[in-house]
Formats: sequence, C-alpha cells, structure tokens
Amino acid sequence: MDKAGWRLDRTQAEAWLADLLRAGRSVYAPVERNGMRAFGAVVAPGDVTFAEGKTRFSPKEHVFPRTEVLFRYQLDNAGVTLSDPPPDTAERVLFAVRPCDAAGLVRLDGVLADDPFYAARRERTVVVTLGCDEPAPECFCTAVDGAPHGTEGSDVELLPAPDGILVRPLTPKGQALTSISAAGWPAASAQDWEQAAERGRTAAAAILRQPVAKEWAARLESNFESPTWSGIGERCLGCSICAYVCPSCSCFDVQDEGGASCGERCRNWDACSFRQFTAHASGHNPRGDQPARYRQRLLHKFGYYPARGSGQWMCVGCGRCVTLCPVGIDIHEAVRVVMAAQPEKR
Amino acid sequence: MVTRPSVLPAMPAAAVPAQDWQPTIVAIVCNWCTYAGADMAGTTRLVYPASVRMLRVPCTGRMSPLFVLRAFERGADGVLLSGCHPGDCHYVHGNLYARRRFASFRALLDFMGLDARRFHVSWVSAAEGAKWAKVVTDVTAAVRAAGPLKGWGRLAADGKLPWLPAPPPPPRGTPAAGDQQAIAGHLRALCQQLLEQGKVQQVLGYRPGTLPGRMVPALIGRPEDAKLLDWSDQCHTDLAVYLAGAQRLAGKIGIVVKACDARALNGLLQEAQVRREDLTVIGVSCPGVLDASSLALKCYACDGEVAASCDYTVLPAGAQPGAVGSGARRAVAADPRDAQIEFLSRLPAAERWAFWQAQFDACIRCYACRAVCPYCYCGTCITEKSQPQWIPTTIDGKGNTAWNFIRAYHLAGRCVGCDECSRVCPAGLRLDLLNRRIALEMERRFDYRAGETMDGGPPLAAFQPDDPQEFIY
Amino acid sequence: MTDLGSLPATGSAGNGVWTSPFRPRVFRIESALDETPDVRTLRLSPVDGGPLPEWAPGQFAEWSVFGEGEAVFTIANSPTRAQFLECSYRAIGKVTYALRNLAVGQVVGFRGPYGNRFRTEEWKGKSVVFVGGGIGTVALRAAVQWVLDHRGDYGEVVILNGARTVADLCYQHEMPEWQAVPGVRVIRAVDPGSQTPEWDGEVGMIPAVFEKLALAPAGRVVVACGPPIMLKYLFLSLGKLGYAPSQVVTTLENKMKCGLGLCGRCNVGRHYVCVDGPVFTWEQLETLPNDF
Repeated sequence: MDKAGWRLDRTQAEAWLADLLRAGRSVYAPVERNGMRAFGAVVAPGDVTFAEGKTRFSPKEHVFPRTEVLFRYQLDNAGVTLSDPPPDTAERVLFAVRPCDAAGLVRLDGVLADDPFYAARRERTVVVTLGCDEPAPECFCTAVDGAPHGTEGSDVELLPAPDGILVRPLTPKGQALTSISAAGWPAASAQDWEQAAERGRTAAAAILRQPVAKEWAARLESNFESPTWSGIGERCLGCSICAYVCPSCSCFDVQDEGGASCGERCRNWDACSFRQFTAHASGHNPRGDQPARYRQRLLHKFGYYPARGSGQWMCVGCGRCVTLCPVGIDIHEAVRVVMAAQPEKR
Repeated sequence: MVTRPSVLPAMPAAAVPAQDWQPTIVAIVCNWCTYAGADMAGTTRLVYPASVRMLRVPCTGRMSPLFVLRAFERGADGVLLSGCHPGDCHYVHGNLYARRRFASFRALLDFMGLDARRFHVSWVSAAEGAKWAKVVTDVTAAVRAAGPLKGWGRLAADGKLPWLPAPPPPPRGTPAAGDQQAIAGHLRALCQQLLEQGKVQQVLGYRPGTLPGRMVPALIGRPEDAKLLDWSDQCHTDLAVYLAGAQRLAGKIGIVVKACDARALNGLLQEAQVRREDLTVIGVSCPGVLDASSLALKCYACDGEVAASCDYTVLPAGAQPGAVGSGARRAVAADPRDAQIEFLSRLPAAERWAFWQAQFDACIRCYACRAVCPYCYCGTCITEKSQPQWIPTTIDGKGNTAWNFIRAYHLAGRCVGCDECSRVCPAGLRLDLLNRRIALEMERRFDYRAGETMDGGPPLAAFQPDDPQEFIY
Repeated sequence: MTDLGSLPATGSAGNGVWTSPFRPRVFRIESALDETPDVRTLRLSPVDGGPLPEWAPGQFAEWSVFGEGEAVFTIANSPTRAQFLECSYRAIGKVTYALRNLAVGQVVGFRGPYGNRFRTEEWKGKSVVFVGGGIGTVALRAAVQWVLDHRGDYGEVVILNGARTVADLCYQHEMPEWQAVPGVRVIRAVDPGSQTPEWDGEVGMIPAVFEKLALAPAGRVVVACGPPIMLKYLFLSLGKLGYAPSQVVTTLENKMKCGLGLCGRCNVGRHYVCVDGPVFTWEQLETLPNDF
C-alpha cells in the first residue's frame, strides 16, 4: 500500500471522479441539491462539494435503503409463486464520507452483517472518507471514541489540504480504487500529512463535549427506572428524525404491499420512537409513553448495544439528531443527565 | 432533495398509448341515486363506453379522498365521484358535506399537478340514466385525452424541475435583543408567580437548547424552575402541540403563545381538545421568528399581535393582564407563499406534478410534520391503521404521495399556518405551500380563516345549501 | 404494480439466485380446528413435498399470509409428532384475521424455526408442572407433547390449563389424552363466575388454583405461559411457596417482525427476544429491564 499518498487539486480530484464514473462505478458524494447538502448520486464531478460540514442525511441509505423489496409474490389457484428481486450489482463508491458517517457504517455492519441484501451491497461499496478540519457546534465524535480525522470504516482517506486534498488508500479495496487514476498523481510529502494531522488535532480539541466513559454504560442501564427519564423524554414528540438521520440506526419494518393476487413484501425504515414499534395487537404496549420510548433509544445507543459484545458506542457523535430534532433534544446532554441521577435499586 | 436508489424504474419518457388503449376509470357512486341511474342506463339499453369500474357506497358523504388516492395508486387513469343532487340525499345532507370535501380535495389534487381531466364529480339521480351515459362518455373522452397515468409516485425521467421564485426581502428587520431579554424577564416573573400561586400546575414555554441560539420547549412544573424560561426570535415550536397531553397529565396549564400559536389554540378549543377553564394563555407580542438568519416567511404578513383570548400579554414593557395591543405597528407585507403558490398554479399541470413528485420522493416518512402539528392529535393516525392499510407503508413516491396528500387534506380549514411542519421537515418539503393552498381555497370558497375565534368550527364540518358547485357535472 | 414477467420465477421450493432469510417456505393448510371461538389450530405441510424443518419445543415461526404480512406463533406441536407442522393462533389483528379467512387447501408462508427452546434435557428426572393461562397454553403444547412422549424421562407431570371462560379453554379435546397418560394430572380452571352448571374443573384465577395444589418446590420445574398479569401474580405465588427463580421457565410474547435479530423490534435490554428467547427462566427475566 502506498503510504506516502498523493496531493490533488480540485481539477485532479474531479478527473479521478470522472474516471470512476467512466469505470462504471455508481458514485455518491456531497452535492448541493435544492438548497440543501445531500449525499447524492454524482452525475458530473463538478457537483461534488468538499466544503466543511456534513450532509443533511448520512450516506447509510446507499447501503441500507429507505425501502427495499424482499420478494414478490403471485397467488394463483395452485398456490403462490415467490420471486427474488434482481440482485443489486452496482459497484458503489461513497465519496467524501465524514469519519462519523464511516464509523456509522461499521456499526451497521455489526448489526446487519447477516442480512444478505445489506451484505451484498456493502461488499460492493468502497468508502472514501474526508476528514473534518472544522467541527460544527453539534459535533461530538470525540466524546464517543471518534475523531475528526478518524479512519474507522475507511478504504481511502482524504484530508483537506490548502487548495486541494491529500489522498491515501487504507485497504486493498481502497488501493484498487486509487489505482484507477493514481498514475501521474503528484505525491504528498510527509510534511503535508503532518500538517494535516495537526489541523485534525486542532479540530478535535475544538470539540468541547465531555467524553462518554466506558463505565457509564452499566450505570445508564441500571438507571432504567429513574424518574429522570420523564424530564428528558416528555418533550419528545415521537417523530423519527433522529433515527432516520442517524448513521448507525438500522431498525426496520416488514410490510406486504399489494393486493390479493400479487404484490411485494418490503422492508422500510422504522424507529423505536414510534408508538407502533412495540404495540401488540392485543393493545398492550410495553413502552406506552414517549419518555419510555426515548429511554429505549438512549439505552440502546449507550447501554445495551455496547454491552452486547462490541464494546462500541452505537452513537458516532455526528450530532444530526441534535440539530434536526424539532424540539432540540440533545442525546449527549441526556446521557449526562441520566448519569447524574441517583442509581436506582432494583 | 436527496436522491436514492429506487427499486422501481423511473417513469419512461413520453409513453404513447396503443391505439386500442382503454382508460381505466374508477367510478365511486352512491347507492341511491347514481347507482340506480346507471342501472337505468343499462335497462334502457343506452350505449356508452365500458371504461368505468363502479364502486358502490351508501352516500357521497362516505366518499373519502383515501378512495381516490388508492384508485390512482392501483392504476386508475381517472376517477369519477357521483351521487344525489343536493336536496335529494337519501341521508338528507351527506352530499352537502361531500360537496365541500370534493371542492377541497379537488383543489389539492389540482395543485399537486394531477391533470384536471382525470378527476370528475357529478350529480346523477336515479331517473337520469341518460345523464349517466353522457357523463361517462364525456369523462372517458377527457381521460382518454389525458392519456395513461404513468407518473403516480414516480420521478420524472428527465429530472427537470421548476424553481420557485425566491421570496421578496422581509418587510422588517430582526427584533431588538434588548426587547427580547425584557420579554424573557417578564415571562420568568409571571410564570414563577402563576406556579407559586397554584394557578397553574405546569407552564409550557421555551428555554435555551444546547446549540447556539437554539430555543426548545420547556415544560416547567416547579416555581423555582421558572428561571429557566427564555425568549428570543428562535422560539419556533408551536407549544399548543403539548397542550392536550399536558392538561391530562398535569391539570391547569399556562402556555406561552405567539400570534400563530394563539390561532392554533383557538382551533383546539373549537375542536374541544383542550379545556379553556384550565388554561392560562400567556400571549407574547411577537415581532417574528427567524428562519436561518432572515424573518420566517410566515411572519411577513403577521403583525404579531396576539389573539383577544389571552389572559396575559407580555410586552417589552411588562406583562399585563388581558389582551393588550403592543402598539408596535409592525411593517407587514403580503404572504410570500401566495406568490409561490400562484407561480406553481400557473405552470402546466405536468410541470407542477413533476415538482411535487420530486418533493414527495424526498420524503423519508419521519412524520415530524405530524408530530409537531397541534392538530394532528388522532389517537391512531390513518397511517397506523392496518385494516385496511390505506396509506402505503413504503418510503417511496407512491406511499409518500398518499401520506403528504392526506396530511394536508386532514388540515383543510384547520391549519393556521404556523409552518412548523415545513420548518422541521428534514427533507425540506414545502409543506407550507400545500397547507396554504388549501387555506386559500377555504378563504375563497367559504370565506373562512382558521383560528380567528374559538367558536364555530372548521368549514368541512359544515355546509351551506348554496355552496358553490361549479366544478360538478 | 411492477411487472413480474421480467423476473425469474423461482417457485416455492426456494431455488432462487440467493438465499434470502426473509423468503418463506410455502405450506398448505391441511386442516383447521377451532379450539375456541377465536383460537384456531392449523395443520400444515410443505407444498414442495420436502421434509419438515427440524425444530425443538419452544421455538417459534413467522407465518405469512401473502398480501397481509407475517405473524409470530409458537410451533404448537412437538417434533415427536412431526406428521405436520401445527400452529394455534388467536385472530386479533390484520394478519391473524386474514389467516382465519383462509380455507383448507390455501397456502401460507413459513419462516423458521426461530428462537431458543425449552431446555427439556434439564428437566429430566424432575416433576414438570405446566401452567398455561388462556392462549398461553398454546405456547406450552409442544413441550407438553414432548414430555408425554418421553414419559420415562420425567417425574410427575402436572398440567394446569386455565382460561377466562369455559369456551376459551384451549385443547379441550386433547386434555383427556394427556390425563390418560400414567402419572399425569390435568387440572382445568376457569375464572370465578365463568363456570357453567356442568363444569367439573376448578374455579379460580390461575395463581390461586396453583397455590391450592400445594405442590412442593423440591424437584420440580414450573413451565408457565400466559398474560403478563397472570405471570406476575403466579411468580408471586411461586415465590411464596418457596420456588427458586431458576426453577421457573416461561416464554415471552413480544412484537416481532424479522425473527432474525435484525429489525430491532424485539430488543429488550441487551437481548433480542427472537434470538436470545423467547424462552427465559424467571431468573433471567429479573435481569431484563421492565420493557416487555
């Protein structure tokens, strides 16, 4: 693997993107659409923006779509015929993924690795990360073991440099991607990388959110019955913005859409914030009020999931849920509030 | 707008129907009049196109936009609704309510860009077999001219979308910080007093969030917490959304309202969702809230004076009992959304359709629009009803079109334009335009503006014998 | 509607391009028996003529009504009686109502077996006490049949089957068969006030009837299933009688969708009920948050 990497200006970066498109890759990157920065399909390399900041939605929908057909059914007198959807064979490049979002993909891998739809798509996806030099006010990746120049989940690392980007493959997949265009790229110097790393350290130091300590997970779980949850969750209105914009949320619903003769079984994004999520047909709902549902979200991210074996937080600190929550619920603040509550005896 | 891999292929460009293409038209007809009339057309052996599939319901009053949406989703090229003439309804006034509903959802369908040749309404009596034959002949011709409906829930292949004209600059600047701080101080003092005296058990107000400048809802139960309350031009949330639940859980509630929120409150009182006697309405003479760094569109036409129903009015000078005018004489301008609606309305229907299909395609069904709306208080939302599943669950154009239509439609004559739905929408959908278009229809047709009083009721819950019906065959 | 003609039809034998765990195997309804006004037992066999899957008592499956969705029920028979797959369900929601409208000969989908199982090997040599409340008895039937079919491995068998009313009692036609097995005691119970003039069983709420049986804890395992409120009071009674939480086993009913530990719906604390359960001991339940 080429450790030295390269330093590209805008034109060279766009030429690389053009090469990728010509090579038949489906390239997704931050693009400005209708006044919003989206992680969308790149049609022309000039569309891509390298400006600081996150896309509105995480790139997870390109490996875990909002809606997906699981199979189709056709009923007839003899019975039913089931057919699989055509396999997704697109070779995807997720370009300029922020480190938090790449970490989110790794969290999704942990949950959905055995899902053949996800696995097939993920295997054909190469992740090119772009480090951040300027965290936004909502960012708290460093509080959950991330970093503005983090490389978790990255196949190719890009870092901002004056008038361009530094490029360095980190995995064989990444190596294959850069070798499509790398002949003729100017090499980056060790000084380029050191200066970039210094900018990364400065960026990390600018995030002032208190780190979430490993031992907090058990304490959060043990505070399940604490009365603090109502104070935190009572203003939650039960939409699912937080789950849907989250790089690591992966809950889904399975529904049949169609008629009595033919149709599809689909899966759609779903969220634990909805009342319907745990409502039984009998009427019983174990999470009957919104504070109970918000508690599930927080404990799953910071308690249950880490305890299940990975040891990793299920939150990557991107802060989208904080910005986009209609009522400004801040999950990091909520963690600290619950931590501060007296532990409850069972 | 975020593009995403779509399971369904994009709409093929300019499909020309085969020579022998027959339009599929679903006719939903009332049992007593039109169904009998159609029967008569048959028994008198009148010849007319066999393009119509009939669904019989007891009354036009039973006809729901859900039926219309589902017909189009399932492949209908046109839909015809038909029933008894006004005055002849078997159930006395089912069709009189229906007439207002038809007008509203026709306006919404048209605004969404559905070709007007695809949706028709008629009054056909049991004796009017000949009229039925003529109606079906004319409707078939109209739908045939419109061609097969291929775009329902699918993005246009060429991706070209109209750009809305930018709104004009706001009529006034941002409010003075000193005024806002003064208001905050008076709110804190007033709410602390109300809690201490037991006049309210809980106050719904605002407090700073964790991000710079952000204001978030605060549910304050203890007098000593009243000091957390604050006020600024970022106090967006329509707190009326918490009201019914708060009254149930806590009892007497004090609620801080801006002018738009006060209108929502009036509507909730009209719909008997909250008890006025257990409410202390604390109106703030609001100079406007910001959207990014500019005055929010909804505030252009609003002078910020709170409704006459306030128990207290909070001004920079102090908190006064009753509803007190601020004397601020704020500069107002025409509602900028009206110009954008006018622009869309003048586009050819196909372009308007492409605009809205692109909008709906971006929807992620987070239901934040529903969550923040004070009027979305249904115990079980239509999307949660599974027997049958009226609104498709898939997060794609088809399901999203149905959801966004029905959400807007359910607010007909009720939405006060607080715009929280479009502000919170993470996909940036212009839900405010859908809401406002229907609100304009209510104004034009029924001379009704939502939220002006706490008496009376929404126009779709009423009728007049002489309601306009120029669109009905 | 998407054009199905362009897709390869892979048939019900599941010989598609890839194996999707979401795709059901197609089963035909061979017979239907109404246990109660709202509980029905189906017998099913695979349309592809292949063997039944291998399952253990306590495991569940996702049953499809194509076009309506899937619902989760336990596999109601023991693998020792593997002529058919059986399930018993109550019509209560969209899928189960649609299932009820299917006739013998029509097809359903089957995905499974999923979940953990009753650890019947740990019951060997012990007295097994089954306590089923209402539709909870359905979840125990596979284990009951297993124990009866391995009679020599177990001590005294007590089966307490209770319901709100006489008509709601499940498996009434099978209980004489169970009672006929040596060393098996079957007690039927209905709620106070529901007994009919001919009723010759017990009258009382399940926890009360259980206490009346005065079964000493030593050497017993209690296998219970029923509505949450019944279990709550039953556990209290069991505690009073001196049963240790590790002696008591139950199976949880939980809203599920994928059955594979992926969709997140059945996540309770650190567990996914579809993977780590639905069979849990009372001792394990105490470690779960009160979230089910």
